[in-house]
This record gives sequence, C-alpha cells and structure tokens, in this order.
Amino acid sequence: MIAEALSPATLAATAAGSVVGLVFGAIPGLTFSMALALMMPFTFGMAPVPAIAMLFAVYSGGMTGGAVSAVLLGIPGTPSSAATVFDGYQLARRGEASLALGAAVIASAFGGLFSLLVMMLLVEQVASFAIRFGPAEIFALVLFGLSTICGLAERSMLRGLIAGVLGLMVMTIGLDEIDGVPRLTFGTVQLQQGVNMLVAMIGLFAVPQVITTFLERRATLSPWPGEVTAEFPWRRLRGYWWLMLRSSTIGTIVGAIPGTGGPIAAFLAYDHARRFSARPEAYGTGELGGIVAPESANNAVMGGALIPMLSLGIPGDPATAVILGGLLIHGLQPGPLFVQSNASLVYALYLTIVVSWVIILLVQIWGIRLFVRVLRVPPHVLGVCILVLCAIGSYAIRNAVFDVYLMAIIGVLGYLLQRLRIPLAPVVLGLVLGPTLEQQYRTALILSEGSHRIFFESPFAVTFFALTAAIVGWQIWSSTRRRPRTR
Amino acid sequence: MLRIGAALIALLPLTAHAQYPQKAVEMTVLFGGSSATIAQVLADALSKELGVPVAAVSRTGAGGAVGYSFVRSSPPNGYTIVWNSNSISTVFHSGNIDFDYRAFEPVARIGMEVPALAVRTDSGWTALEDFAAAARSRRMRVGISGRGSFVHLVSAALFETMGIDVVYVPYGQGTAPAELLGRRVDAALQWPSQFKAQVDAKQLRVLAVTSPARIPVLPDVPTAKEQGFDVDLVMWRGLAAPRGTPKEVVARLEAAARRVVASPRFKELSAKLGFEPAFLPASEFGVLVARDDAAIASLMTELGLKKR
Repeated sequence: MIAEALSPATLAATAAGSVVGLVFGAIPGLTFSMALALMMPFTFGMAPVPAIAMLFAVYSGGMTGGAVSAVLLGIPGTPSSAATVFDGYQLARRGEASLALGAAVIASAFGGLFSLLVMMLLVEQVASFAIRFGPAEIFALVLFGLSTICGLAERSMLRGLIAGVLGLMVMTIGLDEIDGVPRLTFGTVQLQQGVNMLVAMIGLFAVPQVITTFLERRATLSPWPGEVTAEFPWRRLRGYWWLMLRSSTIGTIVGAIPGTGGPIAAFLAYDHARRFSARPEAYGTGELGGIVAPESANNAVMGGALIPMLSLGIPGDPATAVILGGLLIHGLQPGPLFVQSNASLVYALYLTIVVSWVIILLVQIWGIRLFVRVLRVPPHVLGVCILVLCAIGSYAIRNAVFDVYLMAIIGVLGYLLQRLRIPLAPVVLGLVLGPTLEQQYRTALILSEGSHRIFFESPFAVTFFALTAAIVGWQIWSSTRRRPRTR
Repeated sequence: MLRIGAALIALLPLTAHAQYPQKAVEMTVLFGGSSATIAQVLADALSKELGVPVAAVSRTGAGGAVGYSFVRSSPPNGYTIVWNSNSISTVFHSGNIDFDYRAFEPVARIGMEVPALAVRTDSGWTALEDFAAAARSRRMRVGISGRGSFVHLVSAALFETMGIDVVYVPYGQGTAPAELLGRRVDAALQWPSQFKAQVDAKQLRVLAVTSPARIPVLPDVPTAKEQGFDVDLVMWRGLAAPRGTPKEVVARLEAAARRVVASPRFKELSAKLGFEPAFLPASEFGVLVARDDAAIASLMTELGLKKR
C-alpha cells in the first residue's frame, strides 16, 4: 500500500495533478471540473492508484488555486472562492497579499486534511447522516445560508435585499430544472442554458473594478504599495486554529450532502466566522478570518463530497462525478462494499491525498513570492490583462462566445449597481444559493404532493428555520434599536 | 481549452484537397456524468483510428438544446460532430429547439443504455407485480431525472402499461439513488450503473429493465416484457454530423467508429462504465432514429408533454 502510494509513477502523477489543478483553479473561468475532464483521458492508460491519485490532486489543487486570483485580482478563480474575495482582496490592497495567500493555503491544507481524516474514520456515520438530508432539509439549510445577506448588506439592509433578489432573479433565467419550461429566454436557445454562475461572478467582480481603474485615473494610480513582503504567516494565524476547525467541520458536512457544494459551504463558513468574531465589523475590510473560514471550508468539501461517492457510489457534485467515472474506468465500483473489499487500495489513495497536500503547500508557498509580483504591474496594464483573461475564461466555461457577451453585460450592470451603492456581495450570494433554493423547494413540494407540512416534519429543517428566524429577528431588532441614534 | 488546442492545430498548413481528416475533430458532448466519460473514451479511441485529435468538448445545458444548436449551425465538413442520443427527440418535442433529427446526418450507433427500475431490498417487492399491487393501495413516489427526460418517458410508459399512477419526483445530478436509500422515494428509474454498487451490497433490488432482452450488467434481472408488461424502450447513443456533411466523410467516420466499437479495449472500458456497445451503420442507425422519434412523439403526446 505504502509502496504503491509512494512509487515514482504515483508521485509524478500526484505532482502533475496538483500543479494542473492549481493553474486551472487560479485562472478565473478555468475550473477544476474542467481540469478533471481534461486530465481524464490521460488516466485511461495508467494503473489505478496513480490515475485516481492524479484526479484527487487536480481536485485539491484546483480548490486551493481559486484563492490566488481571489486575493490578488479580486476575482474568484472558482465559484467556491467567491467568499474569499471580500477580505482577501482588501488585504492585498493593503499590501498584505502574501499574508492573505499564505493564510489561504494553510487554511486550505488544514480543511483538506481534516476532511480526509473524517473520511477515513467516520465514512459510514457521515454517509448515513448525509443521506437524511432530503430536499426539505437542504432547502432549510440553504434558506439559512440566505439569511447571511444580513451580514453582507454593508450599510443599508434595503440595498442588501435588492441586491440579493437581483442575484436570485438572474438565476431563474433559462430552462427551469424541474419542468424544463423556458423562463425569460426571449425565445432564444442561448438563454435557455441560463446564466452560468461563474460567468456572472467574473463579470461582477472583474468588470466594475476595471471600469473604475480606467475612469478614476487619479484615485487608483497608485493603490498598491511599492513593496510586497513575502513573510510567512504562522504567527498571525495563531488565533485562528479553532475557527479553521469549525469551518472545516461545516465544509465536510455540507460537502457530504449531495446537491450542495463548495460555494454554499464557503458562504456559510464566512458568515459563521463573522458572526462569532469579536470584531464582526472588521469583516469585509481585510480580516484574516474572512479568508481562513471560507478556504478551510471549501477544501473540506472535497473530503465531504468523497464520502457519499465512495460509500454509496453517488456523486454529490460535477467534480466528484468525473472522479467516479475515473474509478469506474479502472474497474473500481464505489459503493457500500468498496472500502472493505479494496482496503489496501483505498488507504493508498488516502495516502496520495496527503502527498498531494504536501506538494500543494510547497508549490504554493514557493509560488507566493512569484504570484505577488502581479501587483507590481501598473493598474491600467493589469486591467487590460484582466479583461482579456476574463473573456477567455468566460468562453472556456461552456465553449460559448455568448458567455463572453453575458460576462460583459453583467459586469457593466455590476458597475452601475456599485455606483448606486448597491453592494455586490449579496448578488453573488443570490447567484450561489438561488438554483439550489428553488430546486429543493419545488422537489420537496412534489414529494409531499403540494403540502408544506413536509418542511415542518423534519427536525433538521425545523432547526434551520428557527436559526434563520433568529438571525433575521436579531437583525430587525438591532437595526430598530440603532436607528434613533443615527438619525 | 480543447478548442484553443484544436484551433492551433487547424492553423497548421494544409495540402489542397487532401483527404479527410486533416485537422482536429470536435465532438460535442451534451450531458455530464457517465455519458461524458464514455464520450471521452470514444474520442480517445477515435483519435487513434483517424490519426487526428478528436476532442470531446462539453456543451451542456437546456436538455441538449445548446449543443445540438451549436453543431447544427457548424459547417458540415466532418470536423464538428455530436455525441447524440434520443435526447434529440425529447428536446425537439418538448419545444425547446426548432429542428429535429433530420437536421443531422446519422454516422453510427455506438451503443445502448437500458433504464432500470430499482426499489429498496427491505420493501420486500421482488417483481413488477408486487410493486403494482402495492401501488394500488397507496400512491408511489418514483425518482427520475428531469421531467420530460428520457427516463421520465420510460417510467410513464411502464406505469401506464402496469395500470398504476405514481408521483414523479425529478432529481438532477444523478441523486435519485441517494433519495431512494434515504427512503424519500419508493422506487427510482435510472441507469443500471447508478444502482450497481447498492445491488451488490443487497441494499437495492432492480425489479426490471425496459429492453427487449436481459442486459449483461444485470443478467439476473428480468425484462418488463418477461413479467407481462410490454415495454421496449432503450436509449441509443451514437454519432451524428450536421446535415450536408459529404458522404465520404460520413463513411470515414462510420468506419472508424465500427473499428472502435469492435475493439476489445472499448468493450472492456464500456463494461466497466455500464455501457453496452452496439454498433449500427449509418443507414440502419438513421432508420432507428426516425422510428424512435415517432415513438417518442406519440408517447409525449399521450403524456401531455408534447409542445411542438
């Protein structure tokens, strides 16, 4: 087992997978799902252990790489790193890009290894827990996630809600997932496929920023400090280990529930971190916890998502579906008997995940020095590069030129919203949660043949409804109390 | 990325009037999951046969409408082909595209996938008749993929023949088996590979497959027909090119596909993915596509799903 996991072929495959994943994750528009699909044919001719190790490495590398562009460019490299932008980009603007990147990679590795540990020790328990989450429970969980708008709304709750609803509305465009009815498509095939979440995110994060750079020449001529230090943040992370552990737990559980995924986990962890922080007002302005929480959560999703995949043979997201294909190609059928009957292979694979994290840590920590040089590029030149990169990225997601236009249109709308002082973070939250929210709600009602009782018969669902009500209630209470003073 | 690569290869100097293929062939894939994996295996094998890269490019969304529209509007020169299926009929008759199978030249059928109806082992049902009897006393919930999808049509046809009325619960991303294990639905109609692991672990039991004969993946499972319910619905998967693609180009692709499907390597990988290779040449494939389109149209009319 150890010999197989540490053989030169496996090590080479793991290293290649990690690096490819990192690169794809770091470039907005090139996602790790895409990297997985591209690497797949290479695995056909390989032995099972190196082949699967490579796919796992692409997954972990890609999840981690997303933080690089989130921090440096303010554009999430993958949807899962959208929540990392809020504080990561602000830290970079303050000249602490290397701190932010260092924290992101350490939190990522922590989350990844934590979920691996859970996967090794508690596969069956977590799987049987996750399977109890049906449409009603997932709806309640996602609704709870939506209540985090309260925290992302910045100054005005009204503007925050407008933004959130806009995000939800954008995601209703296209063929609806349940009945296949075209909505707001104006009779075109292109709009039938809906607005891709990542295309919208690239537009929202990148375009307003670039427009601002060009319009407000003087203000942004030297936003970056001349020197960017490359210190390693061990000491600065001292107060964050407990947060990392909690966020990793959130990520693992959310990942294990089929039909949820990285972006939702990252937002839940971000909000959790802000809510339990001693200085919640610091979030959004460059607080380290705002990087640690989403990054440990989204990487923990990987181990979580592998739990139902390995123990039930059910892929929870598109990325694990590709990995499942890779396992099947090599004659490995994941399922209830898989771990027992292939124990030595499974443990070899676990070991390769550890190896891939070591490689990712080394590459990233070495790479930080290199990555931060991006910030020495003059903002105007960087702005043009970002636009080109985003256009290529938007095209690559679905191989459609239409998506490039869509990215540009959404970007300009995003700029206008910013000018109207409508925050963009709740729009992103709406994009992330909208499709799941609608689909699970409607599926639950189909299951119950139209009765809303299904939402109140499940203890999980009721718990999340209660939490949501508590957060919204607290928000209303605290804002009515604050208002007389501010006016 | 693949397209960028393909574009670069396309820039290589070409000799005039050379034989097809001279540059990379792009194979549009309409769905993710197991269909995409088998498409990659096929593309990989076709590359070796044709001597040029064959890139499986994913253009998913809108039940296949996006990918079909793209391929249809591509030049008919054999460099853009589509990994198609009965979805050309379901997506047309549900009114989401304004062209049907006649917009494409059939190249070859590559194989088949047979829907299977599974229940939990602890339900005690061992045959379709048991399920039908139970369904007469209470309304069953059956997990399917999207409404109007092929498995929806198949289950509707099956339950109509059985004379029972069920609630169809649509799940995306292949989570129907999980919902079955989670006891939220009573049965699920999906692809056999999705149930294989649970069947081996004796947690799920497949009651029937909807093909005319038993399938190699589940040799012990009787067909619906054997159990007295005459349903013959199988999903084919094959290759098609835009209408007007030259005959000799189609023939070249067809020959390559024939050799791929006959190769032991392709058979071996297909078996592992739960896919049944079954080659049909272009002419017979064309007849099959037309016949299935008519059958799907009448089925969708009966179900009230036909919009065009």
